[in-house]
Amino acid sequence: MKTETNRNPQPGGPNNEARNRATARRNWIRLAGTASAGAVLYLLTGNPKRLYAQSRDGDLGILTAALYLENEAITAYQAGAESKLLSPGVLKVAVAFQSDHKYHRDGIGGVLQSFGVTPAGPEKKYDFGRLHSETDILRLARDREHGAVQAYATLASNILTKPVLNFGANVLADEVRHLTILNSVLGVANY
Amino acid sequence: MREILTDKQGNAATPVSRRQVLKAGTISAAVGALASALPASAVVRYSGDLAILNVALGLEHQAIAAYDAGARSKLLSADQVKIAISFQSDHKRHRDALIHFIRRFGGTPVDAKPTYDFGTITSASDIVKLAQSLEQGAEGAYLANAGKLENREILNAAVPILEDEVRHNTVFKQLLGMDVIERLKY
Repeated sequence: MKTETNRNPQPGGPNNEARNRATARRNWIRLAGTASAGAVLYLLTGNPKRLYAQSRDGDLGILTAALYLENEAITAYQAGAESKLLSPGVLKVAVAFQSDHKYHRDGIGGVLQSFGVTPAGPEKKYDFGRLHSETDILRLARDREHGAVQAYATLASNILTKPVLNFGANVLADEVRHLTILNSVLGVANY
Repeated sequence: MREILTDKQGNAATPVSRRQVLKAGTISAAVGALASALPASAVVRYSGDLAILNVALGLEHQAIAAYDAGARSKLLSADQVKIAISFQSDHKRHRDALIHFIRRFGGTPVDAKPTYDFGTITSASDIVKLAQSLEQGAEGAYLANAGKLENREILNAAVPILEDEVRHNTVFKQLLGMDVIERLKY
């Protein structure tokens, strides 16, 4: 399954949601750019030592954990797409959601790189169990999204740097949206 | 009706919150200076957070009233009523949590307005559109302000609220046949 990762998205249409997210996006792009670690640190706090003391270990640990989840989700959707078990409609959703996870991965990886940390790639192998039907794949995806929602909800409030937190909140919103849609497809009530 | 509501919401949710945040920021120094001279009960802490929470509380009051209006209309199907009751219950929980934090840090929670103008509701679709519009505004408001919250406990409380708003918004978008697959830009 081929998906294009949009590393430099353009602002959305003139709706409230797009405007509300625009500030977070701008901050994120500034942060995730190729600026030196020192410049990024100054951007975030004006005080590199303080940032390192407060958040280098904590936030980098959180970002590393989040990156693991994103890599796992990307691989899970890839496994689903390659299974040939998905109907065209579900495949379209899988491609879109995988693209979202790639966007998350690239954003997280960009921050890690700006901190001088090389982002980890996916594991060599994941155990997704036996995938015999479209429902199996949908359940796999739903469970991964559910895990991601729980993880981001737990991790988000521990993030100390604001641009990272803004990005994390938007990622969380994506994961909740995915989870809600997958529950709907599986006939699981969302209320 | 929808256009009026969207405008109202757009002007009420984000810009007002920004103004309030800015205002809170300018007075925070004064609050800090006064803190030592006032009795403990009068000290407002995390005033910027409280300004955000009060804007959020206003949105929760509005949402609760909107679901009441929907239920009273008798236009909803049995399944739609179930959704409305469940989502209204979520908003009541949000409202109570927000009031708790605002009071705890010395603020005064805003009250619900005596009446809200939701326009003319003549069909179940009107109600779903109204609800979706309000949920989208709430989602946007929480997303725009999450990174501004200073207090970790408040942030912890805001995260599950954001989750609920996104879930509600997505459910209504699906009901209305709106696109839910494409990621909104950020």
